[in-house]
Amino acid sequence: MISDITLGQFFPGFSLLHKLDPRTKLLGAILFIVAIFMAKTPLAFALLTLFTLVLILVSRISVSVILRGIRPVIYILIFTSLLNIFMTKGAGEPLVAFWIVKIYKEGIIRAIFMTLRVILLIVGSSMLLTYTTSPISLTDGLESLLSPLARIGVPVHIFSMMMTIALRFIPTLVEETDKIMNAQKSRGADFASGSLVRRAKALIPILVPLFVSAFKRAEELAVAMECRCYRVDKKRTKLAKLTFRARDFLTLFVFALFLTGVILVSRMPASLLGGSFVARLLCYRI
Amino acid sequence: MYKLEIKNVSYLYSKNTPFEKLALSDVSVGFEAGKITGLIGHTGSGKSTLVNLLNGLYRPTEGTVLLDGRDIWEKPKEIAKIRAEVGLVMQYPEYQLFDETVRADIGFAPRNLGLCAEEIERRVAEAIAFTGIGEELLDKSPFELSGGQKRRVAIAGVMAMGAGVLVLDEPAAGLDPRGRREILDGIRAYAKKNGLTVILVSHSMEDMALYCDNCIVMNRGRVYMSGTVDEVFSDAEALMDIGLNVPMVARIAAALRKKGFPLTGTLYTVEGVRDAILRLRKEGGV
Repeated sequence: MISDITLGQFFPGFSLLHKLDPRTKLLGAILFIVAIFMAKTPLAFALLTLFTLVLILVSRISVSVILRGIRPVIYILIFTSLLNIFMTKGAGEPLVAFWIVKIYKEGIIRAIFMTLRVILLIVGSSMLLTYTTSPISLTDGLESLLSPLARIGVPVHIFSMMMTIALRFIPTLVEETDKIMNAQKSRGADFASGSLVRRAKALIPILVPLFVSAFKRAEELAVAMECRCYRVDKKRTKLAKLTFRARDFLTLFVFALFLTGVILVSRMPASLLGGSFVARLLCYRI
Repeated sequence: MYKLEIKNVSYLYSKNTPFEKLALSDVSVGFEAGKITGLIGHTGSGKSTLVNLLNGLYRPTEGTVLLDGRDIWEKPKEIAKIRAEVGLVMQYPEYQLFDETVRADIGFAPRNLGLCAEEIERRVAEAIAFTGIGEELLDKSPFELSGGQKRRVAIAGVMAMGAGVLVLDEPAAGLDPRGRREILDGIRAYAKKNGLTVILVSHSMEDMALYCDNCIVMNRGRVYMSGTVDEVFSDAEALMDIGLNVPMVARIAAALRKKGFPLTGTLYTVEGVRDAILRLRKEGGV
């Protein structure tokens, strides 16, 4: 069933990561992503991986759930890894030279770390944001972080309302798609076989009802909001106000420390670790 | 001989995730050939899950579904064939309409079966006759129709598949009493003419009493009672115990029995209870 997709799904819980202010998690995620792209050596990657494992432990989300979240991007990862392996030109002699295929050491290293980078990116940001933060509090956090932009005329509130609604309706539409697919399957529709054109055509019986119902829902929602006097241009007050606590400051401090650590480690010369073979390996610049 | 049978079936939603939920546990029931079997129970009692198992939309977590004595999951690749033999009308089936005309939409299932144009035309004609759709609607867009008409078109769309078993999940939900009767009468007439086995999900006890031969009562993912409609409805106390709304006259009969009047016979229709009371008087019990 397509509702088994876990990427971008919130798992309610009571861990520290769940309790943090969404703004902390958003800022933390930005710091984490910057750290991923600043990491240049195996040692820095080891640090990143360790940190991600700590995040997983703290969140108390089961590993199988996380693995399932990675599954959808596996093919992209394999494809880009292959591209990296075959297309990268290295300095020295190629490891494998066969007909027009030449594989260099640099290509393999790049493929490995690119894959690691993407996996860490997905796991880290989904740990911090989607798995542990409800969509509503996520958009609340975004709105609050972006609110300074409202002064220069950016309609922050409209954007955040649009996002809230979009996020709110993703599960509904997934469920609806599932229902429509089942109904058409029951009428003998076949989505899984035939040529590409045939398969594309087979989507019509799903897409038409889905669009019809999405438009209907949008209209119903708009009417319901107007009935409760919703106005875009009026300032609204919040039921649940966001507040920074000690743990939020502490978390941000840890993240900042971590980012600094990754940057420093990435620039560290091997001689600082004694200059042995292992040290040179750990500090090898990718 | 059961046309369709379920043996020791359990079904888990979202297996191996934090959202895991047991919808059916160890359910065994049979549906007699050529009869109309009612399936009643509260929301969340497992009715709809059971229905989706019958034509292979869901695969049982445990247990088997037998059609004519054969496991429908014997060859998982040929499950589409099972769907052509067990027609399923989902809840609120009007969501499945998509084609440009009513005629084309009803013809969707037979087209998927690869039938010739004349046979499709014949099936469409038969289906609209039993669902009470006027010829003049055939060339209209299904989206121009009223809610009740859409429902009829959707039901006709499944009938046109020509399956030997017809499963209907609340086919009359949300319709006015007259539309309700017309649709259910049409389904019964169609089933009688073609010798179909029908499974009718409803939570209207009146519909059950009027249209069904057999009756299965579901409660919390288990079979609570099963038997002929007479047998099941005679035990109004047991039905009321799980909070089902039994027909008014059945409640009166149950109350009388509680007071010590040994009423027997058909105790859920006005005529039945009247006869039972008269019989009791004749025997000199009162």
